[in-house]
Amino acid sequence: MSNVLLNRMKSARHVSGKKQQDWSQDAFTLTTRLLQVNPEFYTIWNYRRNILTKGIFHNSSPEAINHILTDELAMTMSALKSHPKVYWIWNHRRWCLENIPNGPGKQQEADFVGWKQIAWSKELFVVEKMLDSDARNFQAWDYRRYVLAGMPTPRPESAELVYTSRKIEANFSNFSAWHQRSKTLTSLWEHGKLDEAKSREQEFELLRNAMYTDPNDQSVWIYHRWLVGTDGSAELLEREIAAIQELLDEQPDSKWCVESIIRYKHLLLKKSSSADVKALSEECRGLLGRLQEIDPLRRRRYQDLELEL
Amino acid sequence: MSTSSTSATQALPPTLLTDLHISYIQKLGENKDDLTYHLTSHLRLNAIYWGFTACCIMGHPEALNREEMIAFVMSCWDDEAGGFGAHPDHDAHLLSTTSAIQILVMQDALDRLDIDRVVKFILSLQQPSGVFAGDAFGEIDTRFLYCAVNSLSLLGRLDELDKEKTVRYIERCRNYDGGFGSSVGAESHAAQVFVCVAALAILDRLDVVDINTLKFWLCERQLPNGGLNGRPEKLEDVCYSFWVLSALSILNGVPWIDGKKLEAFILSAQDPEGGGIADRPGDMVDVFHTHFGIAGLSILGYPGLVDLDPVYCMPAKIIEARGLRKGWKALERRQA
Repeated sequence: MSNVLLNRMKSARHVSGKKQQDWSQDAFTLTTRLLQVNPEFYTIWNYRRNILTKGIFHNSSPEAINHILTDELAMTMSALKSHPKVYWIWNHRRWCLENIPNGPGKQQEADFVGWKQIAWSKELFVVEKMLDSDARNFQAWDYRRYVLAGMPTPRPESAELVYTSRKIEANFSNFSAWHQRSKTLTSLWEHGKLDEAKSREQEFELLRNAMYTDPNDQSVWIYHRWLVGTDGSAELLEREIAAIQELLDEQPDSKWCVESIIRYKHLLLKKSSSADVKALSEECRGLLGRLQEIDPLRRRRYQDLELEL
Repeated sequence: MSTSSTSATQALPPTLLTDLHISYIQKLGENKDDLTYHLTSHLRLNAIYWGFTACCIMGHPEALNREEMIAFVMSCWDDEAGGFGAHPDHDAHLLSTTSAIQILVMQDALDRLDIDRVVKFILSLQQPSGVFAGDAFGEIDTRFLYCAVNSLSLLGRLDELDKEKTVRYIERCRNYDGGFGSSVGAESHAAQVFVCVAALAILDRLDVVDINTLKFWLCERQLPNGGLNGRPEKLEDVCYSFWVLSALSILNGVPWIDGKKLEAFILSAQDPEGGGIADRPGDMVDVFHTHFGIAGLSILGYPGLVDLDPVYCMPAKIIEARGLRKGWKALERRQA
């Protein structure tokens, strides 16, 4: 690496010193250069925001501020492309979004939050691009939830079902998308925006496909566990056990099939008469023995569960 | 059975290369003209905490010069904010403030600290929701909440925290898989599970945890090669040895994973020439993975290591001496 860079990094310490009160355009340009070398330099991000709020914004019209922040978002976009996991960059984008001024219209006019609309909508587009290249980037998912929650005109929550479907269909292993879907559905059901019984059945249908595609994918089984819940009816439990058993017959070494059957039989136990309890316990015991063979890493857990029966 | 054992590893059963790791850590601070040194300055205090804790766990706290270390920590003090930056002249942040406090506690040098001021700084970062921001610019994360709880507890000032509000926020981050995320609505992630569970342990509120579901989720982090991942369907990484194991040991669930296989995985990520541990075998080593690999080995009962307190991620004796030990359980220390 060149000495020029090294010297720049060293001088940065003086730039960031507490005594530093230079809020000029030159100082701003220097922070750009430093952050291009090292976007982890959080003190420089802080300094840059101070230059904007304490210096440059003072002499700027709302229109100019909107322009500066739009440039700022473009600048951090290129930083984010090469450093998608740097918290400080995501953080700086949040700050930019939150500081976009009202306008260009006046209060009561339709385009009073026009600049904000543009910036926040573009942000959703940008973060979805990021998730196209790494579908599991949890910072991007967190950021996307933040954007959705802060948009001047919120999108209908049902749009999330379309988005998560798309992500899940592209890759059943994308647990981030399954997670987001469970949160969305919970909210839609709670607010009565979706027929819960009907939509649950659709989810079971979606899962059925996913299970058969890759029975060893734990994302699918964790979601199934959520969908069944802890107080499902005996009919539901029996139906799901039968469906999973069918898959297990085809894939006799599928640990997740066995694990799930045990889980649902265990739930069934709590609802059963004493004669059934004995039979169900025996079945669970047998299955736990089977798990110890096919999944020796977690043998102790299966032994502990056996003791609990 | 495993096909990964080659003839080379059979000839040389991997052991912890303590001397090499100590010298690797000692050399880290030497070349201050190296660009890498400057590119990682935002992590300097954290790096010293990682390096020093690793030395303590390997039984060599004297490997790094005490007075130099304390002087460096104090030179990171940001007098305007009342907290520590990651490096001299960097702004105060909760991440580096926690590392500074942990180092000063381990060096028995808290008398150098203006405790009232730093407590004020920490408490000022709690948000109405109960979560903490990292600094005045307001980024929020359950990591920062843990930093605050850990630091206040080490300083003996936990009574000044609004505990109910803090616990309520953690509770809202709990997911149906038993895990916790970085903020409300976020996906469960092993590192966030550690910070939330450890904060609850310090606050004596483990009742908030769905213990069996979380233990199940945590033990499912182990992959066939013995390594642990941080989320379903992701790759293994040595640092999760600590995030997952610490949470498991707080919930008394370490035996639910295969400790032998994890141990072998961590040891296989060592650099047998220069020392240090990487995220996975064959990659470049760094002090972060070196520390968390050794921390994981300590919880697994690896012979010759010092006990690590998984709640504070500091030597257990130091935490016990302050009367802060919680009911965690590691594997019994084996004889060499």
